[in-house]
Amino acid sequence: MVSSFVRPSTRPDEIHSLLTGVERYNPQKTTILEDYLARQCANADPLTNHDLMANLSLLKMYQFNPDMVDVDVVRRILAKALISPSTADFNLCLYLLSDEICSDASISKLLTLRDSLERAQFTKFWKEMYGDDDDEESVVDGIAGFENGLRKLIIGNITSTYQTIPAKAVEEMVNLDQDAENGWAVDNGVISLPLKSENKAVATVIKENVKFEQLTKMLSAANDI
Amino acid sequence: MNQEYFDDEEFVGDIDIVAGTYANVDDGEDVEIDDEELIQQAQAGVQSIPEQVRNFLMQFHRNMKNNNLHDLTYGYETQFVRLSEKFFAKGPWPEPQYVAALVKDDGVFLTLYRELYFRHIYSRLHPSLETRFRSFENYCDLFNYILNSDGPIELELPNQWLWDIVDEFIYQFQSFCTHRSRVTKRSEEEIKLLKENSQVWNTYSVLNVLYSLIQKSNISQQLLVQQQGGDVLAAAGEFGSRPLYKMLGYFSIIGLVRVHCMLGDYTLALQTLENIELGNSRALFTRVTACHVTVYYYVGFAYLMMGRYADAIRTFAHILTFVSRTRQYHQRSYQFDTVNKKAEQIPARVDENIHNYLREKYGEQQHKMQRGGEEAIEVVSDLFRFASPKFIAPNPPNYDDLEAAAEAIEPQQFQLKIFLREARLQLVIPTLRSFLKLYTTMGLDRLSTFLEMDAAELRNQLMVYKQRCRQVKWVGGGDLLGGEVVAATDLDFALQEDMIFIAESRIGRKYADWFIRNANKVQDLVNTLESRQKTFIAEAGKPKPAEEEAPAAAVSA
Repeated sequence: MVSSFVRPSTRPDEIHSLLTGVERYNPQKTTILEDYLARQCANADPLTNHDLMANLSLLKMYQFNPDMVDVDVVRRILAKALISPSTADFNLCLYLLSDEICSDASISKLLTLRDSLERAQFTKFWKEMYGDDDDEESVVDGIAGFENGLRKLIIGNITSTYQTIPAKAVEEMVNLDQDAENGWAVDNGVISLPLKSENKAVATVIKENVKFEQLTKMLSAANDI
Repeated sequence: MNQEYFDDEEFVGDIDIVAGTYANVDDGEDVEIDDEELIQQAQAGVQSIPEQVRNFLMQFHRNMKNNNLHDLTYGYETQFVRLSEKFFAKGPWPEPQYVAALVKDDGVFLTLYRELYFRHIYSRLHPSLETRFRSFENYCDLFNYILNSDGPIELELPNQWLWDIVDEFIYQFQSFCTHRSRVTKRSEEEIKLLKENSQVWNTYSVLNVLYSLIQKSNISQQLLVQQQGGDVLAAAGEFGSRPLYKMLGYFSIIGLVRVHCMLGDYTLALQTLENIELGNSRALFTRVTACHVTVYYYVGFAYLMMGRYADAIRTFAHILTFVSRTRQYHQRSYQFDTVNKKAEQIPARVDENIHNYLREKYGEQQHKMQRGGEEAIEVVSDLFRFASPKFIAPNPPNYDDLEAAAEAIEPQQFQLKIFLREARLQLVIPTLRSFLKLYTTMGLDRLSTFLEMDAAELRNQLMVYKQRCRQVKWVGGGDLLGGEVVAATDLDFALQEDMIFIAESRIGRKYADWFIRNANKVQDLVNTLESRQKTFIAEAGKPKPAEEEAPAAAVSA
């Protein structure tokens, strides 16, 4: 998993120097960060389209200058954090917001979505995400690759928990009618997932790990004898 | 690196500007009083100072002038505290204007004296709004003097004092933010005053001071060169090579960590520490105990809020061990026990760790948390309120709409809400764990009957368990934000359709402790034998024929 705190390859030098200096407090730089967010939203590649540190500094700008807050920008930052592989990202964004921003309809909707996602209620999530009305704007609009990012996250959850699972269950959870198999072996409608450390469940014996340095005092004493 | 961007010119908000005079705040008295009366007043003021205190102040001043660091430290750490206790337990120290006469109007000394004077008021009395304003003004004077002189100033202060200056500066800032946000408790005049003086204790100006101190001292470069090797003195430069600047810069980094935490920016807090080696037992922060504890507390707290419970536990455990050792409890086995216990605790109870060394005191709360349920959440939130730092809102409330401002939710409440949501999710772990622990394989339907839970929901819960049991853990190095995902549980499982396969990790037998203990025992035995042999030889060499038998008997015994 790529850490959210490492500089992504797509972060330009201009943004990087902004983030590491005191310019991050200069409200005039807000638009630069907003433009950068727009670029992240247009990029569908999940490996390079999320720069948490830059987005956090944008939220900090809003924290210090409440009159500059653009709720739609906040919405997009949160939606991006929602599908980030590191689960803490969403909270880290939230800590910088205020109760006032959180009570905005689109933001509180995102909070509900987050609840379903974290409670692994995926089918509920898909239903809530689209709403009852097809014409209704979704709170995750305008983010390239959102659905696929979300599926990747859910699949990660499934593959860490199951060794075998009915194909139908997976399809439901990732909201696809077919082709959810992802190249896995399917036998009689049951998928056998590849084993990895997360879904192996092997009993281990935790052994103590004594380092040589911890024994130096004793060894040197032994030398004196 | 970030150093080249620390440029005060471009920084928003300048302390020079805010250090001016304030609307509505002036002494007023000195307008129509003639000189003679003033002199009389001053003399009376000086006379009112107890003689012991007068002597102390004059000596204190001399020691500062002569840069006599040793005596200055004694005066600061011991005498000042003692005199505060004796003469000023219920009131302020003498007015700085009266002290002026004692120290020949030495401006620098008086600024530092006022710092102590205000700090004393903050700690023992209730500072009025005007006092808060004046204290801020004094800090501006002090930092302007330090930062804006042509060359480094010729002053040396004890490390403890320098730390206290930075620490108190941030404390007063936090106190002011809380004070102004309680609009219902403020009088009309106070609101007016606050509105007209929004530059006082402004978040930008506080950050500006800290960043400027860091920049002036080149402390980041110094730490970097120290780690990577090279000429530290060259990296330090004219200002940074002076202990005063170096330590102020260093303490400002720690101060920034605190401010970032108070504002809910935990990532930036940890990022700020990138050049400080936390594990280094000889690092500069260890020179002042309060600073040492502060670093670990805020780092631990930041980890806690980031959901990195294993790291939070490790950090808290480190500092608690340190604290109890310096208090000379010497209960090593007890400490190890606590640390082990912490490691076993499930994440939701991590908050408890802050108090774990007071296990007797918090035994009941801990028990409740282990039981889980709503009661556990209540306990967690109580502990959070008690143990968390004071959070602040960076901006003043809307003084034009006091009703709305009064209803606004406090920052601490907001942070707590987010934290509790997270804690609530962890609640599923203890329940599931207690059932899974009893089996090696188990049908999903059976578990769902036990838990009285719908099978579909149980599937979800199992996935939540899996998710919650994995967290990022720091793997060493200077970057506190980095780490890798590890399993944070001793009970793992996997699902094959509807069958749960459970695997429990066990702690293997430990040999090292036994080995070390016995090795020490042998060592002791050898030492005893050797010393007895020496005594024996020495005794044997002496011409005491009558007692020759005695030492031999001792050896055989």
